[in-house]
This record gives sequence, structure tokens and C-alpha cells, in this order.
Amino acid sequence: MGLNLDASPEELKLFLEEVEEHLQVIEEDLVRLEKEEGTEELLQEIFRAAHTLKGSSATIGHKRMAELTHAMESVLDKLRKKQLSVRSDVIDLLFEALDNLRVLKDEIVNDEESDIDLSGIVSRLQNVREEEAGPPGVTAEGANSDATGGEKWIEVNWEEIERIKAEEQAGRHLLQVHILFRPEGEMLPVRAFIVMMSLRELGNVIKSEPTEEQIEKEEMGTELKVLLATGKDAAAVEKRVKELPDIADVKVVPFSLQSEEKTADKEGEAALQPAAAEKNEEKDGGGSGEVKKKGGGSNGRIRSGRTVRVDVELLDDLMNLVGELVIDRTRLFRIASTLEATGQLDEVAQDLSRTSVHIGRVTSQLQEQIMKARMLPVESLFNKFPRMVRDLAQKAGKEVDFVMEGQETELDRSIIEEIGDPLIHLLRNAVDHGIETPEEREKAGKPRKGRVLLKAYHEENHIIITVSDDGKGIDVEKVKESAVKKGLISPEHAARMSEKEALNLIFASGLSTAQKVTDVSGRGVGMDVVRTNIEKINGTIEINTVPGQGTEFRLKLPLTLAIIRALLVSLGNNVYAIPLSSVDETLRLNWDAVEKVSNKEVIVVRGRVLPLLKLDEVFSLKIGAQKREKIFVVVVSVGGEQMGIVVDRLVGEQEIVIKSLGNYIGDVPGISGATILGDGSVALILDVPSLLKKAVP
Amino acid sequence: MREEGMKKEGQYVVFRLGDENYGIDVNHVREIITMQKITEVPGTREFIEGVINLRGYVIPVFNLRKKFSLPEREVTRATRIVVVEVEGEAVGIIGDEVYEVLRLAREEIERPSPSIVAGIDSEYIKGIAKLERGLVILLDLERVLQREGRSSLESTA
Repeated sequence: MGLNLDASPEELKLFLEEVEEHLQVIEEDLVRLEKEEGTEELLQEIFRAAHTLKGSSATIGHKRMAELTHAMESVLDKLRKKQLSVRSDVIDLLFEALDNLRVLKDEIVNDEESDIDLSGIVSRLQNVREEEAGPPGVTAEGANSDATGGEKWIEVNWEEIERIKAEEQAGRHLLQVHILFRPEGEMLPVRAFIVMMSLRELGNVIKSEPTEEQIEKEEMGTELKVLLATGKDAAAVEKRVKELPDIADVKVVPFSLQSEEKTADKEGEAALQPAAAEKNEEKDGGGSGEVKKKGGGSNGRIRSGRTVRVDVELLDDLMNLVGELVIDRTRLFRIASTLEATGQLDEVAQDLSRTSVHIGRVTSQLQEQIMKARMLPVESLFNKFPRMVRDLAQKAGKEVDFVMEGQETELDRSIIEEIGDPLIHLLRNAVDHGIETPEEREKAGKPRKGRVLLKAYHEENHIIITVSDDGKGIDVEKVKESAVKKGLISPEHAARMSEKEALNLIFASGLSTAQKVTDVSGRGVGMDVVRTNIEKINGTIEINTVPGQGTEFRLKLPLTLAIIRALLVSLGNNVYAIPLSSVDETLRLNWDAVEKVSNKEVIVVRGRVLPLLKLDEVFSLKIGAQKREKIFVVVVSVGGEQMGIVVDRLVGEQEIVIKSLGNYIGDVPGISGATILGDGSVALILDVPSLLKKAVP
Repeated sequence: MREEGMKKEGQYVVFRLGDENYGIDVNHVREIITMQKITEVPGTREFIEGVINLRGYVIPVFNLRKKFSLPEREVTRATRIVVVEVEGEAVGIIGDEVYEVLRLAREEIERPSPSIVAGIDSEYIKGIAKLERGLVILLDLERVLQREGRSSLESTA
């Protein structure tokens, strides 16, 4: 069953984004509130978020959401007015309401009404209010805000309010005209245009939705809303519009600024967004109210006004175009030097080379800026974790102090999307398996409350994210035992393993060291998936653990997915790119240095035996066997495993733009993508993890 | 009016492969470019010659000769890559030479019969046009380029 909301798909999209932002704010702030960081400012912020949500959900006609936010708002109002103390049961109730709000939000996404029953939560929220009801004088106002305000179809901003006032002084009154066109009618924009013309004859148009520019650009549906200042009465206006062709329905309702100002406060400030939602504004009426709105708009949410939302695909396209520019720049350069070499056209050639240098500079800057546009602070991802950790700890009966650092660190948004699940899994593990129960901790002489730290920071050309806990650490012997029991390794192998190798067994599929499976872990994302996901984006993951003191997972991530630093190597006529994140070193060796161990070629580097991988064999390339005395070996590693890749020549290190090979080619074992080189040719990017699996089965 | 015209006749880009002429529906054709340096991609189907850079996009290039089991030929100055778009993806097809855009009325196109088309699986053929200078085989691009069967080939490779 559809929801039948009073909003276009575009409006709904915006609304959903807005809702998500407010839900985030409420959730974060509630977690902070619970930690007794509760300041008045914090309570104000939560209240405002709930208030705005109520307003905008009412505007689009989502009654249940409006009803629930209204109930929440009442509780929050009590809290900020100190008529109610911040108790854990109140917070829990608010969290529960928040979860319900998410369900309601999903209703919009799915365009289907869910079957949740809100009456329970709403009445419980109301009961909180009544239990500790404050002085009667104050609650009277709360009750007042329950009444639905005058019908309002059009939101106005303060500028328009000014104009409305001027019109009213000139003796005209305001009418809201709502027109529905016949959907089958042709050339709706023209019809809308005619309607606007006719309305102009009757008075002044203050505002229309869609605006006249939108109508001109034909960006409109079958609906037109107009705010008209006129001397005529509603019936006359209605009659005039109805005479026009292709009109399905017309409604004309008076509009009053008074009710607008009231509803602006009561129904939320979706359009006005003043930050200060002071109750006395209502009583002030006229002058001062509007000044407040003006001020409120400017010191409201920081993000307003100076930012636009852009589709990521658009940024990708821009990035591609810049990539082309880079290639063309190289060509220009070449043409210039060829011309210079001929000795003719001396001046022209110089001019050309100057220009190409300039283009080069501009291109690099452009590239950098577009990259920046794709960056987001990890905050957007981290935000949801405090709540999650809180819930996990509660369920597991553990006391956890969750600390986050470096939320402002910026990462490419596609990477942020990729690391969400791995981080959730690591945090679950930390709470579930890392941190001990308060009793165990006391016995071990630790504070009852465990600590989980999530930290992000820059390190050279990478972003490091660590998830650490001060729990019991990982028992390496137990890991080995479990791996042997599951048949992943032989007992002999286990005995020979170094600590690091044994720890890496955690990432093997089919191994879980958890003694018991709790309802929170085992969501289908194992540690093997964590590692695969991180490696997929050219990141690495490392474990450090000290028994009895805790565990740290360290993710090393590239700044962006689109561009990575790579080592270019050549083999025969082909050039390959190896992501620098997995390159340890390059070696130049004599062929004699290559030894054979059980029919496999290996080299020994500082006492370590590394398997050698020959790309021409793996890829079955037919290249003339250039048996040279010296060979180049690129030593690569993933998760502690190393191997050497034999190449003909090292071409150099550079930034490359990663391109997909497309659906026709699809996944190629050993190849993770392609890139375009300066001369316009295509080089393949080696997929080191999968090659390593080939060499070290 | 335009629609009517499209029903009655179609336009085909005609290219030569060895001694035979092939036609591709002009609606699929994005552009025709000169031969490029092709980067071989290991582990792909045999008739995928490799990938090229088409203004910043990496696209695969098909060698239909291998698909239709025709003898190999040298690349010449006349060799072209016909860039087509099928199911939203650009793909290059190598042709020894690209001729003109041919306008064919519906009546001029015959259904394929095994007797006249040697070598090529008739499922890849939409029709045959008999012209004065010879036959033009009209390809069913969706069939020719279909992605099915790739994974099974790959896993056995």
C-alpha cells in the first residue's frame, strides 16, 4: 500500500536526506547525553532536531512520523526545561522512539506502510511527561501546540514575509491557490504559464511552486501552487482559474501571515530553519518575530547555504574528463618538443610548450580539487557507532567506554562506503570477544569499564584507522588449536608458525575463535570478509595483540579509490601497474640467486624464502624469453605473506587513475583493473592478493 | 513519419573481414576509429583481443575473426575499430576496412540460410542482403557479443 504523501519524488529525496541528518544528530546527542556530558546546549540541539523533524514530516503529510516526533518533542521539551531529569529509562525510551522513526523513514523509501504500532511508544512518551508534570502554567502552552494550525500549502521565507506585509498594508489580502492540471493534458508548462498570466491580472504573485523559471524550463508536474496578493475574493479567483483549459481541480484558501508565523514555529522550520525555537516568539507577533527568524537562519546549521549536493557519478565523470586532459597534456608536450627539434617554427613551438606547461598546471589543480570534492570526513560513518557500541555492550552485559578520535579525517566517499561493514565487524568483535565482563576485569585488576578506541588519522599518503580495546587480547595458541581442529592447517605446520602468521589465521575463512556465538556476532561477515573488503580497496589490515592487555586492528587505507600510487613495471611489450601499498621493495638479482625448492622457484631475501611468480607463466603470455643475467624482482606482501614478482624492467612510480575493465571482460584472476598511461595506452593493474594466493596456496 | 521510415528500412555500417562483408545496425554504432595499441588481457575469451583507451574509458575490443573462425590477417592502414554500444556498454569491433552506411529496405534483407553462410553460426546473423558487389551479412550484435558462457570458460581455463 502506498503512503500517499504530499510531495514529489524530488521533495521526498530531500526530505529523506534531511530526516537522516536529524536522526543522526538525535542519536549522537542521546549517546552523549547518556554519558552525562549533558549540557543545556545539547538538549537544545536534540529538541530542535526533533522539532524540525516534526515540522517537515507534517509538511509532507507523514502523519505517523509527525505524531511520534511530536511525542518525542514533548519529552525533550521537559528535559530542556528541567521539568524532567535525564534518567536512563527516559533515554532508553527516546532511543526506542528513534528506532521507530527509522522504520517510518523506511516506509517512505519503500513507499509502503509498515505494520509497526506506535500507540505504545507514543503513550509511554506521553506518560513520562505526565508523571513529572511541571507547573500547570507551562503545560498549557504545550497543549496549545497540539492544535493544527491554519492550512498552509506554501512556505515563505522572511523576504517574502516582507513583501506580504507590504501587500497587506496596500489593502490586498493573500490567497493560496492550488491548481491540479489534467495529467493527460498536453503542454502543461504552457498551461501553467497561462494560469500565471491570468492570476497576474487579478493581483500580484508573491510566490509559486514550481517557480516561473522552473515552469519555463518545463520542470513541473501536474501541480501548481501560487501565493497571490489580490483585492478579489477567493471565489472570484477560483472561477477565473476554472475557466482555463485542462484544469482538473482548483482550491483557493486564504493565507495569513499570522498563521504562517505560528505554524512556522509549531509545524517546524523546514523552510525557515531558525535555530532558536523560543516559545515566546508566538506571543510577540509582528516585528520582533521576523527579526529573530532572520538571525536564526544565519546561525542555524553550519552546512546550509554554502554547499550543494552533487551526484557522485557526476564527480566520477569529471574525474574521467580530467584524466583525458592529463593525457592530452602529455601529447601537447610531445608535439611541442618535436616542433622545437625541427628548428623551424621556433617561436610558435615555444609558445606551444609554454601553453602546454600552463595547461599541465591547471589540470593538476583541477584534478586535486575534484578529488577533494569527493572527500568526506569519516565522521559521517563513525556517527552511527556510539549507539551501536552502547547497544552491544548492554546486550553483552559489559561496561564499555567508547572513544572516537579523528572524526574530521577525510576519505574518499567510495572508501567510506566500503569500510563501514568491516569496521562494524571489528567493533562488534572488540565488545563481544575483546572486552571482558566487569567481574572478570575486576579479577584481573583492571577497571570495570573497558575501553574501545576508534581512531582515524593521516599517515603519509594513507589513512590509518585503528580499532583497539583493552580487553583480554587474542590467545594465539587457541587460534592455532582451532585452525588445526578445523583442518585448516596441520599440527606440524601450527608448531612451526610464527606468532604473526598464527594471528593471520583469524582471517582464514571458516575460523571463528569465539567460544560461543552471541546473537550480535555472526551476522555473516567473518574476518575473512573483513580482510577481503579491505584488500579490495587496496588497503591492508594488521593485528597487534598483547594477552591480557588488549588487541588492536590497524587498517591502512588509500586516500581515494580512484587514484592510487603504483609502481609501473614492464614485461615484454606490456606495462603493468602494481599498487604501491603492497610493494615492499625491489631487488636486482643474478639468475643464480634463484633456487628451486620442491620444483618451485624461490629467492632468499635476508634469510626469508620467498616464492617467485613469473607473470608470463601466470598469464600465459607469449613473450620472447629474454634470459638475462640480472633480473628485477618486486617484493610484494599482503597480510604478512610475501612473494617476489619477476619483471623485465622497472618503469617508475606514479599516480594512476583506476578504471574498470567493464562487464564484457569482468573479473580476471590476477588483474584488478586498468589504467591509462601518459602515452594513451592501457596498462593492467595487478591484483596482488589474488596473485599471492596463486603463489602461496 | 520518421517512425514509418525506420520500419521500412534500416541503416547499416558495412565493414569487411577477410573476403566477407558484415553489416551492423547504425543505431548501435558510436564511432569508427583507426587501429589503436591494444593491451592484451590474460584469461579472457579468445576473441577478446584486449582493451583500448577510448577518451579516458577502457573498452574491450573484439576480434570477430576468431569468433567466426576466419583466417588471421595483418593489420593494415585500412584497419578500423568500429565502436558499438550494446546494453549501455561500449565495445570495439575490428574490421579490415569500413565501407559506407548502407540503406536497406526490408524486402532487400533475406533470412539467413545455412547454405550461404559458411563458418558463422547462423544464430549470430539477423539477415543477409544481396547486393551487386556481393553479400552483406547483417550481424545480430546482442547475440555476437553476449556475455554468457564467459564464466564457465574462465573457470576451466
